[in-house]
Amino acid sequence: MGRGALNQHDMSGYYYSILHGALLTVAVSLASLLVATLIGLLGAAAKLSGRRPLVWLATGYTTVVRGIPELLMMLLIFYGGAIGLNSLLELLGSDQGVDLNPFAAGVMTIGFIYGAYMTETFRGAILAIPKGQMEAAWAFGMGPLRTFIRITLPQMVRYALPSFTNNWLVLIKATALVSLIGLHDMTYLAKQASAAAREPFAFFLFTAALYLVFTAVSLQLLKRLSARYSLGTDKVQL
Amino acid sequence: MTSNTPYKLQALDIHKRYGQNEVLKGVSLNACAGDVISIIGSSGSGKSTFLRCINLLEQPQQGRILVAGEELQLRPGPGGALQATDQRQLQRLRSRLAMVFQHFNLWAHMTVLQNIIEVPVHVLGLPRDEAVARARKYLQLVGLEGREDTYPGHMSGGQQQRVAIARALAVEPEVMLFDEPTSALDPELVGEVLRVMQVLAQQGRTMLVVTHEMGFAREVSNHVIFLHQGLIEEQGHPREVLSNPRSERLARFLSGNLK
Amino acid sequence: MNWSVIFEPDTLALYTQGLVVTLQLTLLSLAVGAVLALLMALALVSRSAPIRLPVAAFTYFMRGTPLLIQVYLIYYGFAQLEWVQARWDTVWPWTHFKEPFFCALLSFSLNTAAYTAEMLAGAIRETHKGEVEAARAMGMGRWQLMRRIVLPSAIRRMLPAYGNEVVMMLHSSSLASTVPALLDLTGAASRVYSDFYLPFEAYLFAAAIYLCITFSLIGGCRLLERRYLGYLAPRKA
Repeated sequence: MGRGALNQHDMSGYYYSILHGALLTVAVSLASLLVATLIGLLGAAAKLSGRRPLVWLATGYTTVVRGIPELLMMLLIFYGGAIGLNSLLELLGSDQGVDLNPFAAGVMTIGFIYGAYMTETFRGAILAIPKGQMEAAWAFGMGPLRTFIRITLPQMVRYALPSFTNNWLVLIKATALVSLIGLHDMTYLAKQASAAAREPFAFFLFTAALYLVFTAVSLQLLKRLSARYSLGTDKVQL
Repeated sequence: MTSNTPYKLQALDIHKRYGQNEVLKGVSLNACAGDVISIIGSSGSGKSTFLRCINLLEQPQQGRILVAGEELQLRPGPGGALQATDQRQLQRLRSRLAMVFQHFNLWAHMTVLQNIIEVPVHVLGLPRDEAVARARKYLQLVGLEGREDTYPGHMSGGQQQRVAIARALAVEPEVMLFDEPTSALDPELVGEVLRVMQVLAQQGRTMLVVTHEMGFAREVSNHVIFLHQGLIEEQGHPREVLSNPRSERLARFLSGNLK
Repeated sequence: MNWSVIFEPDTLALYTQGLVVTLQLTLLSLAVGAVLALLMALALVSRSAPIRLPVAAFTYFMRGTPLLIQVYLIYYGFAQLEWVQARWDTVWPWTHFKEPFFCALLSFSLNTAAYTAEMLAGAIRETHKGEVEAARAMGMGRWQLMRRIVLPSAIRRMLPAYGNEVVMMLHSSSLASTVPALLDLTGAASRVYSDFYLPFEAYLFAAAIYLCITFSLIGGCRLLERRYLGYLAPRKA
C-alpha cells in the first residue's frame, strides 16, 4: 500500500544523506592524515635526534597513545578538552568560552593518535636507508639539513610507503568513531537512517560498501605512488 | 688563505679508539701534489678507519688535519672524540676532498647525471649547465658516456663505481680518497675500475687509496704505507717496500697475498 | 582536579565492573577468534577456489570496514531481521541475539578472526620452501606436513604481529560502550563523567587502567617471543 511507496521515497533520501556524510568522512580522514603525518615527521626526528629529553618525550608520547583505546582518547579530548581549554582561558584572564567543535576534536584526536604510528613508520623508514647514502652526502660536504632534504627524505618515502599505506587504511576506519561525538559523518547518518526507517541492514551495508570503495581507491593511488618512488631500485637484468 | 705549504693533505698523529679498543695509535701522512699513496694492511689494521678520519666520517680522539694548508678546527666533544668547531669549515673542506666508497654509495633515487651534478650545483654553487658539462666530460673519462639517465640500480658494480669516480672528479677535488674501491666488485669488474684509477694517476691527481690490490700498489702508486694494528709498520716507494720488505710482518702479509 | 570522587568505593566498584566486562570480552573474543582464524587460514591457503574465495571475501570485508559498523550490523542489523525476531525467544542460538554481550562478542570475534586469519595465512605462505621440500622428501603427507612443520613455524613467526592484535582487541573492546546496556571500562568512565561531570578524571583513570593492561600484555608477548622465537634472534654468544 502506501507504506511501501513511502519507504522507497524515504530510502533514496537517506541514501543521499549518507553519501553526503561520506564527504565529511573523507574530509576528516584527509585532515587527520595531514596532522598525523606532520606529527610523525616531528616525532621521528625527535626519536632519531639522540638528544635525551626529545627521545624521552617522543617515546612517552608513542607509548601512551598506543596504549589506550582510540574511543577513550576521543572522549577524553572531546569532553575533557572543552573544559580544559576553558580553564586555560580562565587562567589567562579571558572570560570567553570556547566550544570545541566535533570536527576539530575528531581531527585532532585521530591525528594525534595516528601521529604516534606515523612516528614509528618514519623512524623505521629512515633507519632502513643504507647509511652509505648519507655518508656519501656528508663526505662531499653536504650539510645536515641539505642531506636530509635531498637524500634522506626522498629515500625515506620509498621505505615508508607500505607502513604509511597501512596506517592510512586503519585511519580511514577509525574516522567512524567521530560519529560517536556527534559529527554527521556517514556512520552517524547511517545510524540515524536505520533508526528512522527501521532498515539497519541496508543502510549499514551501504556504508560498509562506501568504506570499501574508499579503501580500494586509496590502495590504487598509493600503489601508483609506490611504483613511482621505486624507480631505479628494481634490479633489471642487463 | 693560501699557504705556501707543499702538502695538499696532512693528517698528523691520528688516534682513534672504539670504547677500550684502540684502532689507530698515532698515524701520520703527508701528501704532495701528484702523490698516489696506497695504504695496505690486514683487516683490522685500521686502514679504512684512518681514511675516514681524514674527512671526519669517523671522529678521532687526537690528531690534526690540514687540507691545502688550511687546518680543520677541532675540539673535543662528548666521549673525547674530536668534533669540528665550525660546521661550515668542515663542509667546505670536505667539498675539497672527494671520497669513493667500497659500496659506491650512489644516491639510489637519482640518475647518473643527477648524482654527478648534485654536489657541484648544490654545494659548490656551480651553474647547472657548467655542472652538466663537467659531468659529461668525466663520464667520458670513465667510459660511461651516454648513460646519464640511467639509475644506479640498473648498472653493474663496476659501472656504479666508475660513476662514483666521475661524481668525485666532478667536484675537482684537491685530493681523492678511495676506500677499498674494488673490494666489493666481482673479479671480472675489478679491472675496469683499476684502469680508470690508473688514468687518473697518470693525469697527476693526488690520490689516497686504501686497497688490497697489490698490483695497483706496485705499478701505479708512488708511496706505500703498511699499517699494522694501528701503527705504520713500514712505508716507502713500492719498488723497495713491496719487493724488499724490511719488516717481517710486511713480508708475511705480502706472501699471504696472491698478487 | 577532583580525584576523591573517583576513589570512592561506589565509583571504584563501577570501574571494576566495567573492567571485568572488558577483560571477558577481550579474552573470549581472542579465544573464539583464534579458533576461527585457524580454520579460515587453512581455507585461505587452499588451492581450491570454492573454499578460498568466500573466506577471502569475508576477510576483505571485515578488514576493510570499521569495527563500529560491524557491531551495528550485528546488534541492530540482525535484530531487525524478522526471521531472527521470530526465533529469538525460543530457538537456542538465536536467543542470544537479544543479549548485548553476545552481539558484541560475536562482532569482536569475527573481526579478530579475519585479521588473525590473514596474518596466519601470510605466515604460512612465507614458510621456507626448503623446509617443506625436506619434509616431503622424507615422506610426510599433506596434513602431517601442515601439523608438524608448517603450522608450528607459522604460528611462531606470527607471534610479534599477533601480539599487536591482542592489544588491538583490548582497545577495540571499548566499542562495547556503544552497545546499549553493556558496561565495559570505557562505558564505566562515561557513566562516571555523566554522573559527576568530571571528564578528565573519569577518562584518565580508565586510560591508566588500559595502559597497565596493555603493558602487561606486551610484556607477556615479549616473554613468549623470547621463548618460542628464540631461534630467530641474533646470536648472543
